[in-house]
Amino acid sequence: MTIDKFIRRLTSLGLAIILFIFIAAYSIIGTVLPQGLQREFYIESYPAMGSIITALQFDQVYSSWIFRILLFLFIVNLAGCTLRILPGQLKKMKKDHFPKPKPDGDNLHAENMDIQKFRGILERKRYTIVEGEKGFRASKHRIGNIGSSVTHLGIIIIILGSFIGNMFAQEGFFNMLPGDVKGFPQYGFSLRLDDFRLGFRDNGTVDQYYSDVTVLRPEGEEWSDTMWVNNPLKVDKVDFYQTSYGWASSLSILGPEGEEQNALLRNGESYFYQPGHLTVYLYGYFPNMTITSLGEPITMTEQELNPYYAVILYEFGNHVSSDILEPGQSIQYKDFKLTFTDSSLYTGLTFRKDFGYIFVMLGSLLMTLGLIFSFYFYPKHIQVEEKSIRTITRQNTWGFDYQVRQLVQQSTEKEE
Amino acid sequence: MDLVYFEELMFTLAFAGYTLSAVLFFIFVAMKKESIGKIAISLTVAGFGIHTVAIILRVIESGRLPFTNQFEFATSFAWGIVLCYLVLHFAYRFTGVGAFVMPIAFLVMGYASMLPKAIKPLMPALQSGWLYIHVGTAVISYGSFAVAAGLAAMYLIGERQKETGDGKTVLPKSEVCDYLSYRVIAFGYLMLTLVIVTGAIWAKYAWSRYWAWDPKETWSLITWLIYSVYIHLRFNRGWKGKPAAWFAVIGFISVIFTFIGVNNILPSIHSYR
Repeated sequence: MTIDKFIRRLTSLGLAIILFIFIAAYSIIGTVLPQGLQREFYIESYPAMGSIITALQFDQVYSSWIFRILLFLFIVNLAGCTLRILPGQLKKMKKDHFPKPKPDGDNLHAENMDIQKFRGILERKRYTIVEGEKGFRASKHRIGNIGSSVTHLGIIIIILGSFIGNMFAQEGFFNMLPGDVKGFPQYGFSLRLDDFRLGFRDNGTVDQYYSDVTVLRPEGEEWSDTMWVNNPLKVDKVDFYQTSYGWASSLSILGPEGEEQNALLRNGESYFYQPGHLTVYLYGYFPNMTITSLGEPITMTEQELNPYYAVILYEFGNHVSSDILEPGQSIQYKDFKLTFTDSSLYTGLTFRKDFGYIFVMLGSLLMTLGLIFSFYFYPKHIQVEEKSIRTITRQNTWGFDYQVRQLVQQSTEKEE
Repeated sequence: MDLVYFEELMFTLAFAGYTLSAVLFFIFVAMKKESIGKIAISLTVAGFGIHTVAIILRVIESGRLPFTNQFEFATSFAWGIVLCYLVLHFAYRFTGVGAFVMPIAFLVMGYASMLPKAIKPLMPALQSGWLYIHVGTAVISYGSFAVAAGLAAMYLIGERQKETGDGKTVLPKSEVCDYLSYRVIAFGYLMLTLVIVTGAIWAKYAWSRYWAWDPKETWSLITWLIYSVYIHLRFNRGWKGKPAAWFAVIGFISVIFTFIGVNNILPSIHSYR
């Protein structure tokens, strides 16, 4: 195979179609198979296919080398195809270009039509009229010629922008209690959580989560803002997002000599108390607790109307007791006294710095514009000669014929 | 009697109107009586008007557009199908198209009628103006694809009629079905592109990432890729006729899976029930 032939194949529509199908098929696998789990999961869950799944990276489809190669080939194909077709498209945008009508195309001329009136209608419809030897030629929407190239360029920018953006994106998640300060030395500021609030509806369900924060800079400058879901906070080029929340509960353990240890536990966390070899497991804090028919504690709302703690105690790893406690109520076990005193809401925030987003948006804009050019501003040409009206367009031949027939019809109507 | 009662009444009446119009369209195609076609169209318009009232009542009840759970999207989807069909009808006056599009609207309304209709407050992630742009474009896009699938089905049946030598038909010429199906898909494809782009912008605001390969996002992309293949083959290879019609049907199956399948089968942050 010659280099020319190879390049033609690499930039061909045929390869583009194959890539579309492969990318779609590979993506389907990613939606059907659980992604990003341990290799053992696939081996155990799919005994016959497990090794194939991991070998072909079906367990991490969207970050796999196969997927990246498909996308790389897709970009090469798209870029090559665009470079191949663009010169021709630019040529067709010039005013002197007028394509030949199809020999088998319909003649839309009507016997009783008024050609001058027809010409006037076309001018009002913003057609550019060029005089010809036997009549005139009308053209419109030459910009539509480059529609597909603009779309392709947009897609290339989206893929490259997201790929490079994700490579260099910085992202993280952190929890904060009111009063906590989280430093971001790499960005030159810190974030202090002044307050975290839940907005409630009349029925007690949560309407929104609000984090009141202050941005602190080393030079002393500070400013405050509130973020909530769908309202991220932008500091320089870093975006902060309201992501989650939870309850942090204060545990106090009093020893036989009156010595005290304190810990802050989130739901599902444990604390190991070494002097007594005790493990305190906070099954959950339920601010408005009720018990289900299955005997499970749940909270009806996040309002602290009927607060209780569900606590499990272990000694040397052996279960000792399971208790439901009110705030301040203690468990006395041997010489140790365990008390959950109170709980506070904490906020979960995500930060992300991603310069690729702006390119993705630019690409999206170009892609959409390109599609609008292609589908609605596609080039339309009308050749008008003696007893002959022929339309020329690639995009919507039947529809364009239909429109021109209507214009011809208008030109046959006598003005009163 | 409150608004909920009237909303359900209007929904039921619209459903009945669409059902009856679908039946009448079939009779029209079978008997080729123009008067039946006119009644079917009038019923469709009436059903659409009543359906619009039902949606407006729900908007008044909930204080927002009905785009937030499966029932609301299904009823909006059916509304979008009928809207696209009526626009096409009043532009080109091909009455027979209704026999292939209205059954789809009927099925989507039937699906909606089986879903819980309770109005629930918006969860924090949905409290955004992008909801209306993102889901609104989806309603129009999916509606267009449904109409295109109906046109494609009509093409396939029209071709079969030709093969069996049944010359009498009230359906548009096969060539016209083919072209219209393509143009409607082109519009739906543009709208689907906007659905994906607006979804990406919104996801960036709500979840920090504009794309997370969530099953709903991925299936939207798969649907977009299927229609991309269709458009490329059509435009560059002159793909017409049966293969194009089958592709339009396959594309619509992907649309339905993206809506119903992903919500019910695949775990997704988009599964709002």
